Amino acid sequence: MAVSPLNQIRRGLRQLPSWEDITWTWKPRSEREAGDAVVRNFLLHWFPSKITRRAMESSYSLWLGTISAVLFLILTLTGVVLMFLYVPSVERAYGSIKDLEYAISYGRFLRATHRIAAHLMVAVVFLHMMRVFLTGAFKNGVLARQNRPLNWWIGMVMLLATLLLSFTGYLLPWDQLAYWAITVGTNIARAVPLIGDGIRFFLLGGHEINQNTLIRFYVLHCIFLPLGLGALFVWHMWRIHKDGGLACHDRVALDQKAAPAPPASTKTYTLLGITAGRTAHVETALIDEERHLVNAAPLLLRRLLVVILLTFLVSAALAMLVGAPLEAPANPDVTPNPAKAPWYFLWLQELVTITTIRIGGWTLNGAFVGGVLIPGLLLLWGLAVPWLDASGPTAVGTWFPPSRRRANTIFLIVCLALILLTIIGTFMRGPYWQFYWPWERWPAAPPRF
Amino acid sequence: MSKGDEDKVKRRDVISKLGTGAVGAAFGLPVLMSVRSLVPNALYESPRRFKAGRPEEFPDGPTFVPEQRVFIFREGKTFYCISATCTHLGCTVQLVRLGRTAADQTIEFHCPCHGSKFRGDGTNYAGPAPRPLDYFKLELAPDDGQLVVDMSQTADKGWRFTV
Repeated sequence: MAVSPLNQIRRGLRQLPSWEDITWTWKPRSEREAGDAVVRNFLLHWFPSKITRRAMESSYSLWLGTISAVLFLILTLTGVVLMFLYVPSVERAYGSIKDLEYAISYGRFLRATHRIAAHLMVAVVFLHMMRVFLTGAFKNGVLARQNRPLNWWIGMVMLLATLLLSFTGYLLPWDQLAYWAITVGTNIARAVPLIGDGIRFFLLGGHEINQNTLIRFYVLHCIFLPLGLGALFVWHMWRIHKDGGLACHDRVALDQKAAPAPPASTKTYTLLGITAGRTAHVETALIDEERHLVNAAPLLLRRLLVVILLTFLVSAALAMLVGAPLEAPANPDVTPNPAKAPWYFLWLQELVTITTIRIGGWTLNGAFVGGVLIPGLLLLWGLAVPWLDASGPTAVGTWFPPSRRRANTIFLIVCLALILLTIIGTFMRGPYWQFYWPWERWPAAPPRF
Repeated sequence: MSKGDEDKVKRRDVISKLGTGAVGAAFGLPVLMSVRSLVPNALYESPRRFKAGRPEEFPDGPTFVPEQRVFIFREGKTFYCISATCTHLGCTVQLVRLGRTAADQTIEFHCPCHGSKFRGDGTNYAGPAPRPLDYFKLELAPDDGQLVVDMSQTADKGWRFTV
């Protein structure tokens, strides 16, 4: 029977994406509908359709990774708008920021939101790293074919990318903070043995800080680093999938083994609801579905919505309370006194200050020791963490397990040292980087020459 | 297959390696070329030699030249030039007058970024700076008799230029 043209058009239309491909139900009426809400949906396809309650508890993950991702989203959205309004030229950069602050409708709010979200992201990404360490979530557990150490390394690179995004971002207003941060930052790069001068020349696009430098940092900030971080984010999420969800799933599987065994389940289907072939979730079937797993739609989606809304709300509220500062225009002649980096680099500024080593007539510049060597060793230690760990799979996915007490103690001491240096740099350094207690008054600045 | 055949390089392996190499070069060379294009060949920067003014225009003691970040000192007919760039991480040091009376002209240089301290002759004595401030050579311009600072040539501490 010949198909009528009308039917052909109808059939064709059915293949176009429908509204159902990007929307989902908040009130599934059956298991099937709950599964379909995630599995058949383009926007949600990267979530599991079933999840343990533990993985959604704020006491386990603190939702720090999710919050980082939402902050990255806020930064991308505000950043793209800011790109229309900012001019990356030495002559006009400062002026365009002033326009944002005083002439453009909602410009001040946009810029303040972008800045506060960046500050929050540095803090939250760092806390997320701490959470993953302290819960042993970088370790492989009992599920098969895991590679959680790889995801820890991806995360370390993402932390670095976050710091670099912040650094390149606060250079763009081309104010005093920007100019002296580039001066100090690229001189730290110069302290790298042998190739230091070359690195600095390449970063600056010359020997001096000028237009070449600004356009380099602009392209890094708007194109390279966000795209790189975005790609790493996708990989990070995909790995969590492949590793069978958050590390606490391993814990659930272990506890289940220890518990008196219920009648053996004969179910063989996977979380995706597909039986044919090996899928990403074959291994997760280790967790007894009926006892431990709940539908991601709507339980996970609801919590996710709350976290997203709260992150937006807190960022917007803070942006209204705390505006983004702008220092005097970049002036190579005068270094501000004291010249302070943003808080998240003050531990580094403190380190380069106190690490110049003198042995006899031989001097090792703090720029190298505190700026290159110690951060480099910290990074190497961070990368080596999965190899240094000797605890068993019982230490995976649980806070402060006894078998990792020593590792956690060392880790916390290092973190506290960094936080302490940051506090000293923020509150206890005055003119000429002299030490002052927070309650001490700084002397009046000496008359400028 | 005889034993000798096993030592022979296989045609297939050679072609496969050539192909892999060609693909690698096709992707790798453009990347190298792009990176190289970002190493500038022509720079538009301020000259490392500059005219600072006629000698008699300088007052006794230190004078700060903001554009090039140097201090030019005059002691009668003698001149010398000390860099204002901190040897630790490149911030501009500030001149601090320690003397409380007009007769006491003791000065020091302090850095606002990480607290390095230098004596009036540029010697580092506190803070993270690893070495003294640089001295630059001075000369007189043959055309108009101005002092010329040559920042490409550092000099020893105590280097003096007498007009």
